[in-house]
Amino acid sequence: MSNDDKHGWDEYAITRRQVLQGAVIGGMTLSAGGLLSACGGDDDGGEGGTPAQSAEGNLTTGGVLRVGATGGGAKDTIDAHRPTVDTDIMRCWNLYESLAVRTPDFSELQMLLAESIEPEKTPKTWTIRLKQGITFHNGKPVTADDVIFSIQRILDPKDPKVGAASIGYIDQNQLKKLDDRTVRVTLKFANAGFPDDLGQYFNAIVPTDYDPENPVGTGPFQYKSFTAGQQSEFTKFADYWEEGKPYVDSVTIIDFPEADARVNALLGGQVDAIDNLPAAQLQSVKANPNLRVLSSETGAWQPFTMRVDQAPFDDVRVRQAFRLIVDREQMIQQVLSGQGSIANDLYARYDPVYASDLPQRKQDLEQAKSLLKQAGQEGLSVELVTAPVFQGIPEAAQVFAEQAKGAGVNVKVRKVDSGTFYGDNYLSWTFAQDFWASRVYLSQVAQGDLPESPFNETHWKEPRFLDLIQQARAEIDDAKRKEILHEAQTMQYEEGGYIIPYFSNIIDAYGAKLGGFVEAKCGFPFGNYWLKNVGFLA
Amino acid sequence: MSKLIWRRLALGLLTLWLISLVVFAAVLALPGDAATAILGKEATPDRVAALRDQLHLEDSVVSQYLQWIGGVLSGSFGTSAATQQPVSELLADRVGNTLFLVFVASIVAIPLSIALGVWMAMRRDRPVDHVASTVTLVLAALPEFVIGIGLVLLFATSVFQWFPAVSLLPPGEQAWEHPEVVVLPAATLILAVTPYISRIMRGSTIEVLESEYVTMARLKGLPERTVIWRHAVPNAIVPAIQVAALQLAWMAGGVVVVEYVFSYPGIGAALVDAVANRDMPVVQTVTMLAAAVYVVMNLIADIATIMVTPKLRTAAR
Repeated sequence: MSNDDKHGWDEYAITRRQVLQGAVIGGMTLSAGGLLSACGGDDDGGEGGTPAQSAEGNLTTGGVLRVGATGGGAKDTIDAHRPTVDTDIMRCWNLYESLAVRTPDFSELQMLLAESIEPEKTPKTWTIRLKQGITFHNGKPVTADDVIFSIQRILDPKDPKVGAASIGYIDQNQLKKLDDRTVRVTLKFANAGFPDDLGQYFNAIVPTDYDPENPVGTGPFQYKSFTAGQQSEFTKFADYWEEGKPYVDSVTIIDFPEADARVNALLGGQVDAIDNLPAAQLQSVKANPNLRVLSSETGAWQPFTMRVDQAPFDDVRVRQAFRLIVDREQMIQQVLSGQGSIANDLYARYDPVYASDLPQRKQDLEQAKSLLKQAGQEGLSVELVTAPVFQGIPEAAQVFAEQAKGAGVNVKVRKVDSGTFYGDNYLSWTFAQDFWASRVYLSQVAQGDLPESPFNETHWKEPRFLDLIQQARAEIDDAKRKEILHEAQTMQYEEGGYIIPYFSNIIDAYGAKLGGFVEAKCGFPFGNYWLKNVGFLA
Repeated sequence: MSKLIWRRLALGLLTLWLISLVVFAAVLALPGDAATAILGKEATPDRVAALRDQLHLEDSVVSQYLQWIGGVLSGSFGTSAATQQPVSELLADRVGNTLFLVFVASIVAIPLSIALGVWMAMRRDRPVDHVASTVTLVLAALPEFVIGIGLVLLFATSVFQWFPAVSLLPPGEQAWEHPEVVVLPAATLILAVTPYISRIMRGSTIEVLESEYVTMARLKGLPERTVIWRHAVPNAIVPAIQVAALQLAWMAGGVVVVEYVFSYPGIGAALVDAVANRDMPVVQTVTMLAAAVYVVMNLIADIATIMVTPKLRTAAR
């Protein structure tokens, strides 16, 4: 879950992105050999058959890549199953791999270690087949035992890891090794969305003798050193399964708790690339001839969360009024310096089931006032709890408070630190904010919109909605599932507790000597943080 | 005088103990605990419960404090909740880095500001004095992070690229092995403390220069240089010592902001992080260190004042 991203839509990058979109269609195959994906296409639209091509030019092999990462501190971890903050997530993507993962452009669930993840008769039982010949950094082949060990480690009831919130419905007692490369997984209920829930960066496969002190994975880079709050060094994994990658000999990931320091380090040449360039600095960095900027639209969203079971939001008219208060365009301009795209109080925009036909909600203060009047909430005063947990969140709270004045609502913004925000009231605030990366619809629902969801921050528990989700999970027919989920989204659109004003862009900034950066609809910088795709230009 | 020192030391220890109580209470009063802070967005109830158990956060407040203070008395500062490393190990390099930064800043700032103060006093009410006064006032009014950002723009990114904008150190290496990373943070601290010391020095020097014994010294034909450095400065310096000590002590805390701006790997940055993590042992240790610096600096200032003031020096016997 978690993670981050940022803003902006950058004209400079449009041509590249359009090219890439064209290039990626069809180019994204699920087999090991066909991974042209993230490598991108060059200007004539050709998807590079040779991996050494990037949008910026030909890439060479070798060099040391220094990357400035957002945040970091003493609580940094290199454990495959405990990534929490941006720096952890970047390390995880590069050291470890899961069975499958959404490609940076989010068009497909790409098989990584798995050859296939397929349902048996119903989506309650699944067979995972591993690719042949993939080894861990220590040379040991990846086997069914490692898969079972990893799932058990994630779900460990005494010490549940991050992924327990996404695949907690696996029946641990029925994990079964069919042969060295095949595992049968039985779920507690049928779920057609299982491969996507499994295919998350925090559900990486680690060897049965995994030791976080000396971490071993299958990722494109292998562990060399790690100092919490400072930096980590990884070297190229020579036997990486994807032909020709990674390009660079080693990467150094450097923590930057402070955003200005990260940008300054890039400007001063102390790092080669940074993630999450603040949108406000886009123009100045772009003007620098030695630097490049890639601003990607994403499915990352930062909602306001209204608790549907607490006054005043237990009255649906108040929730509707609050959604009508938002001037989304203005919020994108003021909070993201324009680096975002408009949203319609629904998430999972890149999922084919996304209900894009529902009319775009616009600011309507008269209607909002009238709804509040009907609800007997004229002159309403509420507290909005915000924290600097993600770029733009406190700013969005301020803008919302301003806009709410137009409807006669007094929003008192209470800004707290992240420790307070995630303290005892986390997931219980009446009116607060959050941030999410791109996900497919059913995975997101499981995270935050079901009664048993670990992060149900709006306390949305509509029985009809749950019923629809259960039907959809058991449905293998895509068209029927889409129809069912359309009804579910209509319910959220009309009555839900989220206000989703926009999807924010992610902005990568990097030296002009580098290439291989791709758009990141996935909501992770550098396209899934895949530094394996980045190299120095010839 | 040794009696005085012992008394002051005992009072200092009492102060440190009281501070440890206040800081402990303050961290406890913050909403959230180490478990929720470490898990952050991923803090599901199951995971919070597991981590609380692992970190012994369910123990009573009194027992947590006693455990900590007991550890300190036996020379152990506890284990960081965030890293599970001994605090002493976690902070060892960082303490060295911060001390080096403060040391570099003070050996430049103190002589510089004393010389500047005397120089301004000698040119009292002339245009250069007015300019210098205005500049020091402006610097005194500017927050350190503004000064730091200004220096970065000027010397690291936009205008010149002479020094690193961010004080990155390879893990395990110390600031003195890479002096270039100290330049801008130290310059920021110097610009932050020099105005106070130099203005006090200017004021007290002017006062002394107006005194009768200076007039007498001049009348008997001593060269101006001798009048200033032999007769005026030793008497004018007393208030400056007190202010300098306060400024040095301030640095022990003010360094937090400067380290944050430059991502300098010192204890200041560690403190900011530890508060965010509700990492009690680290917060306690760093604040104790800063408080100890305050106590020691004040003690040194008092002793120095006694040494340069004959009246006090003899009275203290």
